[in-house]
Amino acid sequence: MDTLSSIWIVSRWEVKRTLATMSRNVLPAAAALLLLLFAVTGFAAESGMHLQDGMYRIGADDPDVLAIVAPDARFDATIGDAAALRRDRAAYDVVVLRGEVYAADTAKGRSALRALEQDYERYVSRVLSGQEDLYAAYPLWIDLQYVKSELDFDATESGIMVGGLPDPHTLPLPEGPVEEVPPPVAGPDLSMEELRQGLIRDAAGDHPLSRYADVLSPDGGTRSLMVPSRLTPSLPFDSIVLVFVFIFPLYFTSQFFMMSIMNERIGRRGEALLSSPIRPWTIIAGKAAPYFAVMLLIAALITAANGAPQTILLPLFPVILFFLANALIIGMVSRSFKELSFLSIFFSTIATSYLFFPTVFAGVHVVSLVSPLTLVILALQGEGFTLAEYVYSTSLFFATAAVLFYAGVVNFNEERLFGHLPLRSTLVGFVSSGISRARPYCSLFALGGLSVPFVFMAQMMSLVLLFNLPAPLSLVLLLLAAAFIEEFAKSVGIYALFSSRPGFFTPGTMLCASFAVALGFLLAEKILLLATLSQITESIFGSILFLGLHLLWMPLLLHAAGVLLVSAALKAGGPRAYGIGLVAASTVHCLYNIAVISGWIL
Amino acid sequence: VNIRHVGIIAKKELRGLGHERTIVFAILLQLFIAMFSSFLMVGLASMYDPEMAAGYSRARYSIGYAGADSPLVDEFSKRRDLQLYRMDLSEAVAALRERKVSAVIYVPDTPPDAEAPIAITLYTLQNDLQSGIINIKLRELLLGYEAKLREIRAERLESYPISLNFPEAQRGSDFFEFVYGLLIPLLVFMPAIISAALIIDLITEEHQRDTLATLLSTPVTFPEQVWGKIAACTVLVPVQAAAWLLLLMANGIAIRHAGAILLLVSVGGLFLILLGALPALHYRERTGAQFIFSTALVVVILGTISLPANPLNLIVLLSVGAAGALHWIVFCLAVLCTLCLAVAVTGYARHIAGVLHAEG
Repeated sequence: MDTLSSIWIVSRWEVKRTLATMSRNVLPAAAALLLLLFAVTGFAAESGMHLQDGMYRIGADDPDVLAIVAPDARFDATIGDAAALRRDRAAYDVVVLRGEVYAADTAKGRSALRALEQDYERYVSRVLSGQEDLYAAYPLWIDLQYVKSELDFDATESGIMVGGLPDPHTLPLPEGPVEEVPPPVAGPDLSMEELRQGLIRDAAGDHPLSRYADVLSPDGGTRSLMVPSRLTPSLPFDSIVLVFVFIFPLYFTSQFFMMSIMNERIGRRGEALLSSPIRPWTIIAGKAAPYFAVMLLIAALITAANGAPQTILLPLFPVILFFLANALIIGMVSRSFKELSFLSIFFSTIATSYLFFPTVFAGVHVVSLVSPLTLVILALQGEGFTLAEYVYSTSLFFATAAVLFYAGVVNFNEERLFGHLPLRSTLVGFVSSGISRARPYCSLFALGGLSVPFVFMAQMMSLVLLFNLPAPLSLVLLLLAAAFIEEFAKSVGIYALFSSRPGFFTPGTMLCASFAVALGFLLAEKILLLATLSQITESIFGSILFLGLHLLWMPLLLHAAGVLLVSAALKAGGPRAYGIGLVAASTVHCLYNIAVISGWIL
Repeated sequence: VNIRHVGIIAKKELRGLGHERTIVFAILLQLFIAMFSSFLMVGLASMYDPEMAAGYSRARYSIGYAGADSPLVDEFSKRRDLQLYRMDLSEAVAALRERKVSAVIYVPDTPPDAEAPIAITLYTLQNDLQSGIINIKLRELLLGYEAKLREIRAERLESYPISLNFPEAQRGSDFFEFVYGLLIPLLVFMPAIISAALIIDLITEEHQRDTLATLLSTPVTFPEQVWGKIAACTVLVPVQAAAWLLLLMANGIAIRHAGAILLLVSVGGLFLILLGALPALHYRERTGAQFIFSTALVVVILGTISLPANPLNLIVLLSVGAAGALHWIVFCLAVLCTLCLAVAVTGYARHIAGVLHAEG
C-alpha cells in the first residue's frame, strides 16, 4: 500500500513537471505543428508520393501505348516516329515500336521492362474486367487452399527440399493415414459482379507504394478465389511499414522518459528525490508509469485507427517494457546530450533491426517468431497466435527488460547518477555494483544467469542475419558469432570484478569465480531453453547455438574454461590483455562446438 | 560573423565529438548494421524474388493431380521441372501433408467452352519457402492455360486490349526499385537528420549545463558560437552520406553522380540543421526542442515528398542517372531556401544574445 502510494506520488509529480515545462510554450507550437501536419497529410494523400517520378524513360510510336503508362509517374514518356526512336534508343530504357517492346540491357532497363509489364497487365485487366461476359475474359479461376504440414520446420529450414528427384513411374503415395478430402464443388460461390469488383480492387491496389499501405488492411487473406495472374507470394519488405506505424511512436515516446532520467542528473537536480525516504525502485516505477500508460494508449489508438484487433497490444506490451528499460539505462549512463542522442540512435537501430528482420520471414519460417512484430503481422492477417508462440517470441523481451530495470534500480544512487566517468567505466561500474563484496561468487553466479537473455537476443540476431547466407558459410559464421557472444557475456562480470578489485584474483579464486559464472550461465541457459526455444533448438541452426542439452558436465567445463582463460589473461596482462583472453576463449569454445557437431565428442 | 571564430568553435565541437568515443563507436556500429542489412537484402532479393529463385532451382517438383481430365495435363507434360501424378484427391492431399508432393491441383469437369468459368482448386503448404517457388511455376503454367481458354471463348468478348510483345529473356526484379527508389534516398538523408538532432544537443547543453556564461566571456559572440556548432554538424553530413554510398557501392550497387548527390545532401542537411537550431535557440531545453523539431521534420519531409521534382526524388534520379536540367533549378531553389533560413537563424541568434545579455 505504502509503495503504491509513493509510486503514485512520484508519477503525479512527474506528469505535473513535464506538463509545466511543456505547456510553457511548447504546447502551442506543437498544436500549430499538428494542424500543419494534418494539412500536409491531406495534401500528400491528394498528390501522392513523388519519390520515384521519372525514374524510367520510355519512347513509343503509338499514343495508345503511352496511355498505358500515363497513370504511372515512374515513366517519363516520349512519343516519336520509329526512325527517331531507333536512332536515340540509347537514351531510353524501354522503346515500343509497332507493339514490339525493346529494353536496354541494364539493370535499369530490365526494371523498367518489369514496370511496363506490370502497367500493361493492369491495363489488360482493366479492359478485360470491363467485359460483359466476365467468364470469357477470365475463364480460369483458382481456389487456393492451404494445407498445414507437420514436418514444416525441419524440412525447409535451409530451403532444401526433401525427398530428392521425383521418379515419374512410382506414385508418391502417403505413408500415414489418409484423411477423406471432399472434392470441391464446381464453380465459384461468388456472383460474377462480386468477382468483377474483386478484380477491379486488386488492380487498383497494385502500385509499389500503395502496396505498403495495403499491409495494414486486415482483409488481405480472406478471399481465396483468384485469377492466375494474382497467384504470387507476398513481398517481404512490406512489414517495414509496421515498424514505422507501431514501433516508431513507441520509441519516440520512450525518448521523453530517457530525457526525464537525464534531467534528474543535470546539475544534481535529482538529489532531493534521492535523499527522500522513497526507495529507488519506487522512484523509477513512478517515473516510468506515466510514459508506460501513454505508450499503451498510443498503441491502442493506432490499433483502433487501423481497425486492427486489439490482441496486437499483447505482443507490443513487452516491446514497450523493453524500450522503457533501455531508455532508463541510456538516460543513466550518458555523459552529455550528444552521447544520449547517439546511444539512443544506436539502440533504436539495433532494436528496429531485431524487430524488423525476422518479420521478413513471417508466415514462411519459424525464425520469424523471434520478433513480437511477427505476432502483430499474424494478428493483422487474421491468423492469430497461440500462447506458445506468444511466450516464444516475447519472453526474451520480458527477461531483458527485467534485467535492465534491475540494473537501473541497483545503480540508482548518487555515485552513479552524478559521476562523470567515460561510458565504459560507467558500464563497468554498473556491473560491479551488482557484485557483492561479501559474497562475490553468488553475485557472479547470478550475473552469469542474468546475462543469458541478452546472449540469446544477440544470438537470435546473428541467426536471423546469417540465416540467409549460403549453407556452409552461414553455419561457420554462426559458430564463430555464437561462441564469441557467449564468451563476451560471461567475461563481463569477471572484467568488472577485476577493474574494481584487482587484488581479488588468485589462482584459487579465479577457479571458483569461473565455475560460479559457468554454473549460473549454464543453469539459466537450460531453463530459458526449455521454456521457450524448443522450436529453434530442433533445427540444425539451433544445434549450433545451443549445444548439448543432454550432457551437462561437458558444457560446464567448457564455460568455466572460457571464463578462466579470460581471467588468466586479465591477471597476466591487465585490462589490455582482455581482448586476447576473449579471443582465446572464443577459439576454444568454437573448437569444442565443431568437435561436438562433427561427432568427435559424445 | 567572424569566420575564424566560427572555425575555432567548430573544431572544438568536433574534438568533443571525437573525445566521447561512443559517438565514433555508434557510427561504426550503425555502418556495420547497414552493411549487414544491404547484404541481407541482396540475399533476400535473390531468395525472395521467387522468379529469380525459380530460375535458379533446377529441382523437379512433384504435383498431385486429381479430378477430371483436361488440356491442363498437356501443359504439364511440356514442363521439365514439374512432374505430374494422377492421384486420388484424399491421397494426394495426405501426400502433400507428408511432403511427398509439393502441391495438389483439383480440376472440375467443366468443358473449356462452357458458359461457366473453370474453377480449379490448388492445395499448397502453408508457411513454406517452397510453395512460393511452386506458386510462381504454376502461375506461369496457368497463365498459359488461361490464354488458351480465352482464345477458345474469344467470340464472346466485345473488345480486345492492344497487344504488346515483351522480349523473352530479360527478367527484372523489384530489387532495383527498392534500392534506388527507397533505400538510397532514405540512407543518404539519415545523416542529415542525425546532424539536425545533434545541433539541438549542442545548443541546449550549453544552456542546461550553465556553461554559456563562461563561453560568452570570450571574444567569440553568441551568433559565432551558434554558427560554429552548425558548421561542425554540417561537416558530418557529407562524410557520413559518403560512407553510406561507399558501402552500397561495395555491395555492388552502382551509384551515378555521387558527387552531385553529396552536394545536394549537404545543402539539405544544412537546411535541416538550421531548422533544428531554431527551436533549440528558442526553448534552450532539449526535450521541448527535440519534440518540436521532430514534429516539424515530419511535416517538412512529408510536404517535400508530395511535391513533384522534390530533392528526394532528385537523389533517386541522380543515382540512376536520369536527372535533367530541372535538377539544377530545384537545387538552386533548395540553396535559396537554405540561405533564407540561415539569415533567419543568424538574426534570431543575435536577438537571443541580446536577451541573454539582458538576463545577465
